[in-house]
This record gives sequence, C-alpha cells and structure tokens, in this order.
Amino acid sequence: MTTITTENPVPGTREGLESGVLEAAANKRRKRTYLALLIPGILGLLVSFVFPLLYMVRMSFNEGAPDGVVIDTFTFQTYIKPLTDPYYWRVTLDTFRMGLTVGVLCLVVSYPIALFLVRSTSKYKGLLLAIAIAPLLTSAVVRTYGWMVILGTNGLVNTSLESMGLIGSPLKLTNNMTGVTIGLVEIFMPYAILAMISGFGRLSPQLEEAAGSLGASKFKVFMRVTLPLSLPGVFTAFLLVFVMAISTFITPRLLGGGSVQVLATEIYDQTTGLLNWPFAAALSVILLVLFGTIIAIYQRIVQKIGG
Amino acid sequence: MSEARLFKPRFNPAKPIFNIVVFLLYLFLLAPLIIVFVVSFASNQYLSFPPEGFTLKWYQALPSETIFVEGMKVSLIVAVFVTVVVLAIGVPAALALQRFEFKSKAAMEAFFLSPLLTPSIVLALGMVLLFGPLNLNNTYTGIIIGHVAITIPFVIRTTIMSLATADTSCEDAARILGAGPWTVFRRVTLPIIRPGVIAGGVIAFIVSFDEAVISLFVAESGLPTLPVQVLRYVENSADAAVAALSVILILISLAVVVVVERVMGLRKALN
Amino acid sequence: MTESKLSIVDLTKKYAAGLAPAVDRLNMEVEEGHLVALLGPSGCGKTTTLRMVAGLMDPTAGSIMVDGREITQEPVNKRGMGMVFQSYALFPHMNVEQNVAFGLQMRQVPKAEQKARVAEALDMVQLGHLGKRATKALSGGQQQRIALARALVVEPTLLLLDEPLSNLDAKLRDTMRTEIRSIQQRTRATTLFVTHDQDEALDMADRIAVMNGGLIEQFGSPIDVYERPRTHFVANFIGQANFLTITVGEDVGPASAAGERNYKIEVPGLGHFGAVGASGLTGRSLPVLIRPHRLRASLQPSASVQELKGTVEQVSYTGDTLSIAVRVGDEVLQSQLHTTSGSLPHTGDTAFLSWDPEHAYILPEHAKAVAA
Repeated sequence: MTTITTENPVPGTREGLESGVLEAAANKRRKRTYLALLIPGILGLLVSFVFPLLYMVRMSFNEGAPDGVVIDTFTFQTYIKPLTDPYYWRVTLDTFRMGLTVGVLCLVVSYPIALFLVRSTSKYKGLLLAIAIAPLLTSAVVRTYGWMVILGTNGLVNTSLESMGLIGSPLKLTNNMTGVTIGLVEIFMPYAILAMISGFGRLSPQLEEAAGSLGASKFKVFMRVTLPLSLPGVFTAFLLVFVMAISTFITPRLLGGGSVQVLATEIYDQTTGLLNWPFAAALSVILLVLFGTIIAIYQRIVQKIGG
Repeated sequence: MSEARLFKPRFNPAKPIFNIVVFLLYLFLLAPLIIVFVVSFASNQYLSFPPEGFTLKWYQALPSETIFVEGMKVSLIVAVFVTVVVLAIGVPAALALQRFEFKSKAAMEAFFLSPLLTPSIVLALGMVLLFGPLNLNNTYTGIIIGHVAITIPFVIRTTIMSLATADTSCEDAARILGAGPWTVFRRVTLPIIRPGVIAGGVIAFIVSFDEAVISLFVAESGLPTLPVQVLRYVENSADAAVAALSVILILISLAVVVVVERVMGLRKALN
Repeated sequence: MTESKLSIVDLTKKYAAGLAPAVDRLNMEVEEGHLVALLGPSGCGKTTTLRMVAGLMDPTAGSIMVDGREITQEPVNKRGMGMVFQSYALFPHMNVEQNVAFGLQMRQVPKAEQKARVAEALDMVQLGHLGKRATKALSGGQQQRIALARALVVEPTLLLLDEPLSNLDAKLRDTMRTEIRSIQQRTRATTLFVTHDQDEALDMADRIAVMNGGLIEQFGSPIDVYERPRTHFVANFIGQANFLTITVGEDVGPASAAGERNYKIEVPGLGHFGAVGASGLTGRSLPVLIRPHRLRASLQPSASVQELKGTVEQVSYTGDTLSIAVRVGDEVLQSQLHTTSGSLPHTGDTAFLSWDPEHAYILPEHAKAVAA
C-alpha cells in the first residue's frame, strides 16, 4: 500500500488578501463599465423622451393667447376648460367609446387567428404567423389609405353592393366613426394576435385532448378549458388595443375626414389650427394620465388574478 | 393523435368551419394591403371599382412626382441616421441591462421600454414644443431626435433577447485566452448577438421610415417625410398615384419582415 | 518537497454578507504536472474555486500563487491560463482553426507560427482534418477536443477543466477520460479538474480534493481518499460504504501501511473483530468503514472466523455482481458478491458476514451529521 497522507497542506504563512478589497475594487470597475454603457442611451432618452414630456407638462400650465402667443405663467386655466366644457367631455367619451368598441371587436376577430396559430401543427405555421404579424411593420398611413379605398363612396364595398343591387345609394362608411372603427380594428389586429399568443402559454392541445377524452363535448371543452386558460392573453390584448386606440391619430384623421373628433385629433387641431399650445399640452397631459391610470389599474388586476 | 382517433372516428364539422372563419379573418387583416396592390395597377382615373384595365402609369409617374421623391429622400436620410444612432446607444445599454447586476436594473429596463407605452401624439406635441425655442423644428436633427425615442425600445429588446440566449462562457473563454473587454465584445459578443442587432436595426429603420405623427408635428411645413407627404396627398386627392407609392412602401416593409424572420424570428423580435 | 506550481492560501468567497461562504479558507498546493480533481456534490464550492483561480471571479479573501508569484489581483486576460467549459464554449461564428488560433492571436504570435501550432494542437486531439469545419457541425466529443486544443495551444500556465465530460454520453465519456488523461500526461500541463463524478476523479487524477460545504474535506491521491478517508463524508462520497460504530480495543501491533496499527474492535453486542487505524485509538468509540465488495457473505457459518449473523433483506442482481442487504441487529450492511460463487443467497436467507482486518478501516473522526 502506498503512503497515506491525510493532512491538508500547511496553510500559507504569508498574509492573505484583506477581506473584500478585491471585490470592492471589481465592483467599482463593473459599476464604471455599466454606467459607461448606459449613459449614451440614458442621454438619448432624456433628450428625445423625458425633456419633451416635461416641457409639455410645464407648458400646460401656461396661458395661450391668440396667434400662438404663449403667456408664461402658472395657471390651471387650461385644465378647467376641458373639464367644464361639455364639448370636451363628449370628445373624451367618444374617445373612450371608440377605444372600447375597437378593443372588443379586435378581440373577436383576432382570437380565432391566435387560437388557430397556437394549435396549428402545420409546417406553414411559421409562415402563417409571420403573415399575421407582418402588417405591424407596414405604414399605418398606407393601411388606412387601403381602407379608404375599400370603404369610400366609390370603394370596393359600395360598388360591389350596388352592382349586386343590394343598396340603392352608397353607404356612408368613411368620414365617420364606422370607418375609423373598421380601420382601427384591422390595424391593431397584429398586436392583439401577438399579445394573445404570448398569453396563451398554458394552453396546450394535450389539455384540450385530455378534456375531450374525458367525455367533454367540443363546446364544453372550449368553455371550460380553452377560454379560461386563454383569458390572460385576451386581457393583455384588450388593454393594449384599448390604449393604442384612444391615442391613435392617423386613422381617425384620415378615415374620419375631419368629422370624427377624438382627443388625438383635438390635440392636433389645437396646435396646427388654433396654435393654442398650452391647451394642446393640457389635453395631452389628460390623455397621458388616462393612459397611465388604465395601465396601472390593469397591472393591479393582473397581479390580483395572478397571485 | 392515433389514440384519439380510435375513440372518435366520426367527422367533426366544427373544424372546417373554424378554418374558414380563420381564412376570412386573414383576408380582413390583409385586405387593405391587397386592395392597394390591386388599385395601383388599375387604369381608372379616380379611385373606383371595378378596375377598368391594367396599367403601369402610376408607377411610371412616380419619379416625376417631386413631393414623393423629396419625401423619400428625407425619410431615407432620417431612417439611416436614426438606425445608426439608436444602435450606437441601444446596443451598449442592452449589454449593461443584460450582462450586469445592479439595483435599479428593472427600473432602468422599464425606462428604456417606456416610449412604447407613450402615445406618439403626446410625444410629438412635447417635441414640437421643446424644439421650437431650440430651433430644431423642420430640421433633420429634430426629426432624428424624435425618432430615437420610439425606436430605441426595439433595439434594446432584440439585443437583450439575443444576449440572454448566448452562452456567456464563450466570453469567459475569450477572456481567459487573453482578450481584453473591448476585444471580447468586438470579436465574440457582437458576432454572437448579431441576429438581434440586425433585427433591432432593421425594425428601427422601418419604424422610423414609416413614422408619421412625430414627423407631422415636428417638420410638416419645412421638411416633410414620405409618410407625411402621403398623408397630405391622401387627404386632398383621389387618384391612384399614391397606391403605387404605397405598394413600394409595403415591399420595403416586406423586405424588413423577411430579414427579421430570417435572423431571429418575427414573433421573438416584436414581442 | 518540490516547489508548488499552484498555491491557494486561505481562499474565501462570500457571495453575500450573512450567507455561509461558498468557499471557506481553502488551502491547496498543486505540484507541477499534476492533474488535481476538485470533487464534490453541487454547491460544494468546487466551481467557485476554479473560477477564482481562472480570474473569472474575485475572491473575498485569500491569495492564489502560480510559480510562487501572486496572481490574485491579475486580470483574467493576463493570467495565461487555458480553460475548457462544460458547454465547450466554442466561438460559434469561427471555424475550428480560428477557434484554436484565437489565443495565439491575442498573444500576437506571428501568422506562420500560429498556423503551425494550430495544426500541431489539432493533430494532438486527432482532428487535424477538420480545421476548416464550422464548429456547429461537430459532435459533442469533437467539440470537446477542439476546446481542449484551444486551451492547450497557448501552453497555459494552468489548464482548467470545468466538468468537461458531463455533457457527453456515457460511452464517449469513458473514451474522452482516457484521452484527456493521456494528453495531459504528454503535455505535462498542470491541471485543475472540476467534477462531481467520483469514478472520473479516481481514474484521472493524481490528487483529489474532496470538497463539501466550501471546505476541502480531504486532499490526497486517489488511493488515499478511497482507502483512507478522513471523514464519513469522504468515505460515503467516494465509492459505497458500510459503517459500524465500534469500540476500539487492544492495539495488537503495526499494520502493513506505514504508521497504522492493528486493533481488536468490539461491535457492541455482536462480538469481537479485527480492524486497522491510526495509532492511539484504543478505548474510543468510532465508526469503522468496510467497503461492500470486501464484506464477505456466506450461507454457511465458518468454524475458524468470527462472523456477524444476519438476514438477507434485499437482493439485486447486476450480472457481474450480486448486491445483498443484510440486517444485523439494528444495522443494514451491504455486501457485493461475484456471481461466480456457488450458491447465491435469496431474500430471507441467513447470512454470515466476515472481513479481513486490513479491509476494515477505523475512521479517525466521529461522523458528523452529514446526509449520505
């Protein structure tokens, strides 16, 4: 048998490193590195995001005079008007109603596609998914224009219906809320589909099959398994579409043709037409607050449900 | 599958109906793009249906439409600069957010993504207000700054995603083999996360190129971008010239979609 | 004693104040050319130790010396080491040659020399023909060898291997074990090798450091740690082990191993037997270790040898061997028999257990409450 040494080697006689010195130095170095990496981005966002918003908030407390003159002061005047004038209450309500309608309709038309994509085992699944979300990267102006062509007085829908003899005179589908709603529903579909697919995480064909093999009917499987499991995705999609719809500008502007007034178009009119900068700023702050509140409430709800 | 079939050999009518519904919804989703395509080849003088004949005149007319050519030039310059700037500041920030641990990390990440959750009309108004006294309205600088805010979240997200899936021991291996921090980044990290950087870059490009609201507020009168020109044109006239232009814009978007899908997957990049 | 290649002195790593240190005042001397295995269960601090030696992690306290020179504060890219990772960590965007050449490029070795050394390194791992291949196209075993060539081509001061075999399938693991060992012996690269696999450590290492809870429980040759474990943990972690708590009796003279004595021992209530151990243990109550394959079990009592009588509780047949669990009083002892022996026991049989005194080793310390 070989020699048997069971002793640990003798500890070194020299003094070791003082506790934590090296780590502290390394932490300092690391901190310098990540700050250096972050600072350009932070500066970029300060200039292009934070400062404009802060400046706008400050502007909302100024007073607007005719011809775009801004009187530097500190007043709540700009907020009193939209909160007391029934016109602005109506615009706000219309904006909300549009958001809700678009949100609900968008869910209805997006849900089947999302469900189809989650369940699909087709080899074209990737392609179909890409087609469903690709419109997200096309210009909103172009897509709205497409809807003007479809819905206009001489558009696809009206000419088709007329030639079939179903209607006598063209339906009014543009320059009103109907057209805006249809356009927005389509424009936000890719977002809704994406959000739903991500939220459908717990949904699996196996689960549905299992329920089916236990004797549940197709309808029952859908109501008892599929739908409840897909609710988180549906909620997220609704919120996303709702907040985008209440703040969107291009589509209400083009498809509304000046006769649909929502907060976004009102902000634009106050700036370009009336040059009332403080008032436009106040409307924007109100929109931003609505936006933030809804998201905050939503996150509360999600936490409650999730926890 | 086969077991399920054992128990349920009968025909299920729900499935084809569901598939037809899905097909119709796809049609609805793609309708505006398809229709723009059709109209762009139609010889009707004004927007109307049905198409009376096939023509390429709208496309042939495009190069002589100065407002579109000018707008295209402005949009391209803006989009190129925005892409460069946003990659230069976004990729390092993503690196910090993914490879380092610090206290305010979650808040910092939320901060970088927050422009996505801000209505662009609000942002646009803020910019036009701030840029007024700075004389940045109607300048390239103004539009570019405006677009940085809305494109940076995309670059941050795709880069973080790539970093998260990359094996950090590759970086460790390079350091042990003698590479300093900059060399590690240039020769190992960057090539590995290239798909995310490319995807973020082309998305930033197309988002800037297609952006209309901020450009409208900041530079409508002096330096209109292509989407602003299209917007104004659509508001005022009814011919199909803009359809031909739209088809070109759609094709550019499609190219971006293909690149993103190839390098990292569209869903991953946009979600 | 020769000058150590690597000395680790009081090396400590605390991840957070209040937490138990991941590595606790660790000391180790590694001789030039040795392959040392850091062996232990996950969370024992072995990988943390390796990463501190590599410079990928900063120690809280202590120092690391290579060739007598303090390197604790040297940045990782100046340490001149080579490392092979569990995931191989080959650069996915470079081909095989570019991967291997990377370290040489960092050292600004002239192009021609780079080429020659890369070729030589690839030949060493028998992959000279794959130089232009993309790394993704290679099998796990091939990737592993490229990683090894990449680490060795720079002639590292130390070669560090972090669980390099755990991503390979069982058969390939055996081949790679032999190959890594033979390459290591040819290059005489001083090597630190992290593993949780005791067979790997026994097979490959010149020295094994058995780690547990941030401490080295034992540092010694494979034979040392197997035959003469210092603690209950080491005995249990390396190989299978039976323990009996005994009272050490009379010292009956020197044993065959230097410094050890033969003792009479008493298994309380069951009789007197023989065992070996360090000197001066008489009168103490200590655990005695008997490896299952050295615990004889027979169905007939023997007239000449003192035996423990028990009942066979479980039988497990694995082809070459038969493992049986025998209940003796409150204890259950494992015994391994070769299947060549005539009549094999069955559950319920009465079995008679015995051992040679030199196969029963009295542990110098009491068992700590360590879960096996």
